[in-house]
Amino acid sequence: MNFLQRAFNYVIRKPTKSLLLAVTFFVIGNLVILGLGISQAADNAKILTRKKMRAVVSYEVDYNKYWNYIDSLEDADAQNEAYKNYPKVDKETAINIAKDERVRTFNYMTNNTVYGIDIEHNPLGNEDNRNNTYTDENGNETEYKEPAFMVYANLFPSMIELEEGTFEIKDGRWYTQEDIDSAKRVVCITEEVADTNSLHLGDTITISQISPSQKKELIDDGMSEDDINLELEIVGIYSTKEDVDPNSDSFKWMSPYESPKNRLMMPLTTYAEYSFEVTAELRKLHPDWYGGELDEEQLRQDLETPSKVVYLLDDPLNVDAFVEDNQSKCSEYTRLNANNESFKKMARPLDTMSFFASIVVWIVVLNAVVIISLVTALTLKTREFEIGVLLSIGVSKLKIVAQLFVELIVLAFIGFGFASISGSLMAGRVGELVLDYQTTSDQQYESEDDSSYVWTSSTDYFTTVTQDQLLSEYHVSVSPLLILEIFVLGTGVVLIAIVIPSFMIMRLNPKQILLEQN
Amino acid sequence: MSAILKLENICYGYTDGSYKREILKHLSYEFQEGTFYTILGPSGSGKTTLLSIMAGLDKQEEGKIYFMGEDIDKMGLYKYRRNKIGVVFQSYNLITYLTGLENILLSMTETDNKLPGNQKELAYALLNMVGIANTKAERLVTHLSGGEQQRIAIARAIASNVDLIFADEPTGNLDTATEQEIIKLFQMLSERYGKTIIAVTHSNEVSKFSDHRVLLKNGILNDL
Repeated sequence: MNFLQRAFNYVIRKPTKSLLLAVTFFVIGNLVILGLGISQAADNAKILTRKKMRAVVSYEVDYNKYWNYIDSLEDADAQNEAYKNYPKVDKETAINIAKDERVRTFNYMTNNTVYGIDIEHNPLGNEDNRNNTYTDENGNETEYKEPAFMVYANLFPSMIELEEGTFEIKDGRWYTQEDIDSAKRVVCITEEVADTNSLHLGDTITISQISPSQKKELIDDGMSEDDINLELEIVGIYSTKEDVDPNSDSFKWMSPYESPKNRLMMPLTTYAEYSFEVTAELRKLHPDWYGGELDEEQLRQDLETPSKVVYLLDDPLNVDAFVEDNQSKCSEYTRLNANNESFKKMARPLDTMSFFASIVVWIVVLNAVVIISLVTALTLKTREFEIGVLLSIGVSKLKIVAQLFVELIVLAFIGFGFASISGSLMAGRVGELVLDYQTTSDQQYESEDDSSYVWTSSTDYFTTVTQDQLLSEYHVSVSPLLILEIFVLGTGVVLIAIVIPSFMIMRLNPKQILLEQN
Repeated sequence: MSAILKLENICYGYTDGSYKREILKHLSYEFQEGTFYTILGPSGSGKTTLLSIMAGLDKQEEGKIYFMGEDIDKMGLYKYRRNKIGVVFQSYNLITYLTGLENILLSMTETDNKLPGNQKELAYALLNMVGIANTKAERLVTHLSGGEQQRIAIARAIASNVDLIFADEPTGNLDTATEQEIIKLFQMLSERYGKTIIAVTHSNEVSKFSDHRVLLKNGILNDL
């Protein structure tokens, strides 16, 4: 008749007391599961959505902070000085951040629109809707030629699109670090552009950042074709999985350079060198167009500096930690942006719900400790005699506490077991009700309050997730791990509840206990 | 015969506010093996207190208690209660949610002096020895009469294979006929099995049948 057998005998042979305790645990268990279930479902929905989002972080200028700083300057000279020293992303910092082991690869890349001199763009299919003419000052209708290509110029060859498989080289090779370092005039074009122009590896293409109308003027001013154009050798032909959406609202007005098929990929050094030469030549011919002296060093640096550097991380769940760990490396007016603001805004109903659910859990747990301690203390009071008898025949205090603990834990497991079924059903229903209410009131709040303007660009790399998508991931299901957590939590509560009153009784010696009872 | 229990200079008292009432005053005594002792004394003389101290249920303020020559404080009171002695109380003090058999098995499980053999069969044998049939042994103790409960309490006291049994007013709650049966049981344990019985009692019937009568008066024990 060891303490386990005694415990089971007590539970079975004192059915009323056992039932009351089990019901107490059942009620507490339901409330804990309700709170934890809702909280966990909200966290899971956020994690699942996060996982669907791209694991990208951009290192960029914090314009809000910079403009606020400018606004805070009262002196016009100080403002001008601040404008001149506008913040930029720093190459050394970008490389330093890229050393973080969570970074799979990164894009240190600029993009610029260019005109094709001897190549045609891949048509989008919206040409009939677009009218590329304008009326000049003489009343003549003149055709306006817009840039048809977008040059993406990268400082490192291992870029995000290659890492993710968005780009796949079909013929030839990607430009190498050696090509970049020596500013080789090489380019990779899409297979669509290659097909449109019957281009092959080793062929050359010519592009220009000067429009045809301006080009004519500049040649008249003395610039040569060589000064204006950039001739590039095709070293690679690639396919891209990206394409325009013909069903989008903006498709009708989309320019050819907006199509991923009309991207020209080339070394940043090559394009920066070309841009520098064009700019330097223009400054020579038209110093009146530019203010002040040419600072060659500054210009070269500006041309090689992208507006942002984008990092692809190994796991979307590492994004927040990555930003936190590396933010300190950024200078005052630059920042690491994980596009968290919009995600956090979308997740607000879930956060609110999770927050209140957590509070409920803590209140319930604290109450549970008090309630179970009181119930246990009252139960033990009726068992002082038994404890005295057990002590008098030499049963150790530890075994007595163990017996009481087993009795309670058996009842707790029964109560929590039933609660895990009913609690999960309740959590699902209550969670949906609260979420519906929260989402409705949040949308109302948004429509009244939200006047923020969100700017996105093609180099953002952030995945757009709607609130509906996020909320659709909200599913309350009580996982075995959660049940285990609740059982561990319950065991802890029971242990605390049993130890305190037990020792209050057992601090007495057996004679005192038995005399009191007799 | 040798001393199974030796009391040496035992002192014990109660503090009632600023007043200290001394119950046991430098009490010394030796109890011999295989003897049935009864301790008599007027109410409030400290009989139950003395028995509690001897049984390791309470602690003396001064003095030493030796069991077979070993200081019980050094032995440890839990170990002493578990392995060396058995106690029979006036109100039986059985565990009410257990059967008679389970109460015996509880004591048998706890002791380090286990008798060899199947513990359940031994428990039945013990209960049969004190006059409890197997069918009654399997009932909850609350469903048994006072006499039957006291028999089970005696069986529990000897279930841990001990040689010394303390009894505190063992027949106090019983009628005369049952009292006789319990006295005979103690006699049998002492004579046939060599157990030492030390019983505190008011009852002349009980003391009449004991081997040795001792009077507790003014905090000391004297043979009668």
